[in-house]
Amino acid sequence: MALLSMLSMIPFALNAATAETLAADAAQVVDAVAEASVVAEPTGFGIVLDKIEYFILIPWVYLSIAFMIFGIIYRLVSIYRAPKTPFSLKIYSSKKESPLSAWNDTFMLPQVRRNKPFFWISLMIFHISGVLLILGHLDILPTISILSEDSKHMIGAGLVGVGFTLPLFHFLFRRFKTPIREITVPADFLLIVLVLFLALFGDMISWGNSWTANGFITTKQKFAEYFQALATFNFENPRYYIWSPHYHFLVIHVALANLFFMLVPFSKIVHAFFAMPINKLRRK
Amino acid sequence: MDLQQQYELEKLFKTKLHQAMRFYLETCTHCGLCVDSCHVYNSMPELRYTAVGRSEVVRKIFIKYFKMQGKIAPWLGETMEMDEFVLDKFYEAAFSCTGCRRCMVHCPFGIDTQQIMSIAKLLLVGADKEPKILSMLSDMSINKGEQVEESRAQYAEAIKNIEPEVEAIWPTPPGKKTIPLEVEHADVLYVALSGKHSIISAAAIFNAADINWTLSSFEAVNFGAFLGDPQRTKKIGNRIIAEATRLKVKTVAIVECGTAFRIMKQQFGKLPFEVVTFVELIAKYHQEGKIKLNKVMTEKVTYHDPCQIARNAGVYEAPRYILNQLSDDFVDMIPNREENWCCGGGGGLVAAGDFEFRMKSSKVKADQMKKTGATVVATACENCHSQLHDVCGYYNTNQHVEFISHLAAQGLAK
Amino acid sequence: MADYTAVKTFDYKGLPCPMPIVKMSQEISRIAVGEVGEVLSTDPGSIADFPAWAKTTGHQVLDIVQEPGLIKIYVKRVK
Ligand code: HEM
Ligand code: SF4
Ligand code: SF4
Repeated sequence: MALLSMLSMIPFALNAATAETLAADAAQVVDAVAEASVVAEPTGFGIVLDKIEYFILIPWVYLSIAFMIFGIIYRLVSIYRAPKTPFSLKIYSSKKESPLSAWNDTFMLPQVRRNKPFFWISLMIFHISGVLLILGHLDILPTISILSEDSKHMIGAGLVGVGFTLPLFHFLFRRFKTPIREITVPADFLLIVLVLFLALFGDMISWGNSWTANGFITTKQKFAEYFQALATFNFENPRYYIWSPHYHFLVIHVALANLFFMLVPFSKIVHAFFAMPINKLRRK
Repeated sequence: MDLQQQYELEKLFKTKLHQAMRFYLETCTHCGLCVDSCHVYNSMPELRYTAVGRSEVVRKIFIKYFKMQGKIAPWLGETMEMDEFVLDKFYEAAFSCTGCRRCMVHCPFGIDTQQIMSIAKLLLVGADKEPKILSMLSDMSINKGEQVEESRAQYAEAIKNIEPEVEAIWPTPPGKKTIPLEVEHADVLYVALSGKHSIISAAAIFNAADINWTLSSFEAVNFGAFLGDPQRTKKIGNRIIAEATRLKVKTVAIVECGTAFRIMKQQFGKLPFEVVTFVELIAKYHQEGKIKLNKVMTEKVTYHDPCQIARNAGVYEAPRYILNQLSDDFVDMIPNREENWCCGGGGGLVAAGDFEFRMKSSKVKADQMKKTGATVVATACENCHSQLHDVCGYYNTNQHVEFISHLAAQGLAK
Repeated sequence: MADYTAVKTFDYKGLPCPMPIVKMSQEISRIAVGEVGEVLSTDPGSIADFPAWAKTTGHQVLDIVQEPGLIKIYVKRVK
């Protein structure tokens, strides 16, 4: 919790600084940058590309999220429809157990902390960042305001993205070392690489976007229009309201995210949903 | 291997897919946190001796035959086809694993390698490739259940013949049998093993505490569990349950045998009697003032937590309590309790395993025992006792291994 | 009574569980088919174990003789 509130403080601090130095007309500069990139009507190959990009940004998002939700339900149902385990598989702890032990095991990973502290730190930063990223994305919706609506950043101002990305490098590189190397299957590498690229494109959007000489290229308010469009199913082509020189990177980011959503139920990421029930087996 | 046999094995595999097993097979992230948990890997660092290395063999077959991924993109998980080679891998994985479940403590999800290995073991039985000595021992136990009446008189005579050895430790209370058999409504049914050492010390302690107890006609150990055959496991356990129910006893006390205790306590659901391990009774009798124990031990003593009694069945403090009554010089091993290293002989390895393998895989155990500086290693499991005895010899640790019940019987005082 | 002579003695006194039966299964091949071996045991459990073992493996227990502190089991190798 402390970490969460600290991270969410950062954008406020940055906001305050920008507000002071750039004074009132800062907003106009940003607007000018956004306005300056005129949306040209696509021609030739651009028409095909536009169609593909539209598909990625709107219909595929719906399809992949629906696929993910059904997939997760399908996996959970198929397990719970299997015969009940007729005996106890408990591990007895020599320390005092409480009804919260399984929660502690699931979210604090006490054994990992004790045995592999460095890996634990990576895991924790990665997963906390992951949760903050989910919150950060939801926060872009105008109806959800974790940060003030006129904040130009996502939660963490890009730091959450870094917190998500660096541990992924750790996860990737440790897979090249014995004995983890030998237990790794192709699916493990592919998943890490996918998530890593997804994260890197996200980082690019948040860092590259705000570090230009002229300040923001696309602000959170702009993205909010896109999210609002998704949330209200209006099927308009986002090209016309969030165009910027970064538009194609955004499309790649969303394409990777769609792939990721579709893989969630059918890759080892299901551990996100299984971690709690499986940890309970050890305690009851 | 022909399609028919593959199909039969697939069917057998399916019988194992209960909810917990599905979670175990579908959750592993290949994080490798269980690698260092296994005493076998720590003594012989090879991938096939890690928890995840073992369960992957089974998981790859699972994905191949039961998951869509195995049908459309088997290369993603490097799945394998069920064949003789895989069965050999199953054998290597399952019968180099003692089922100690130490890895389960360290896995962030608590994946139970012993359970996954039970699939491998069942398929080996199905393919007639199991260690023959274990199926023979299981069938022997079952046959013994069927023909127990025939040997009852001779058994009673054999029991009578060892009574003087019990009396030498403690006089029988007036009006009581030294080793009672077939006592209805007894407070305790004591289930021993074949060897007289498993009866004599216990009998002396029961008599010292003046308990209304009775000795079972069966041995407690369940070879069906070592074999990994749920049906035979049931039949073997049911002999004891039937006897306890027939005699209407309140408590079934299991001899110092880890597997026997855990199977009876955890795998048979709710029973009409309480299941305890004998060491719990010793501690209880002492706490209730029914027996007294003298500090008769002069050597430094340590305690080996048998996996199936401690980590997997929750008895941690009773044996330590008893040792502290018997000695002023008790030290714990490091690590201990749920983190203790397995003796290396579980899962049927003492009966069926290769001696060299058992000794080599217990190097961490030998080091751990030596570090305590104790000369006596006490334990509460027949299997651990045999294994540790061999380990002490093989690694020249200059230690001897003793049963808690045996030490307690020697410390009995008026 | 004894219309057989044991050709070999198997000393399984004081062994831990389940060694007497494990050893018997391995060492029965040290006598020829039709020959009889004498097992020495101190385990009360052996009384029922050996007949059950014989039933499982197809060998034969001919006789069990008890003395204080010693059990003698006469086993005939059938296969
Ligand atoms: C919000 C839900 C979660 C999501 C979205 C999630 C996602 C991920 C992702 C994408 C990875 C990287 C995969 C890789 O390295 O190949 C990962 C790794 C991991 N997660 Fe989670 N996770 C979640 C919850 C949990 C929970 C509750 C646990 C606790 C038991 C957990 C334990 C792990 C572990 C141990 C790894 C390491 C895998 C490795 O070494 O590669 N995760 N998670
Ligand atoms: S149960 Fe024990 S022996 Fe088997 S893999 Fe786990 S740690 Fe190793
Ligand atoms: S610790 Fe658990 S999740 Fe990680 S590799 Fe081992 S069994 Fe799989």
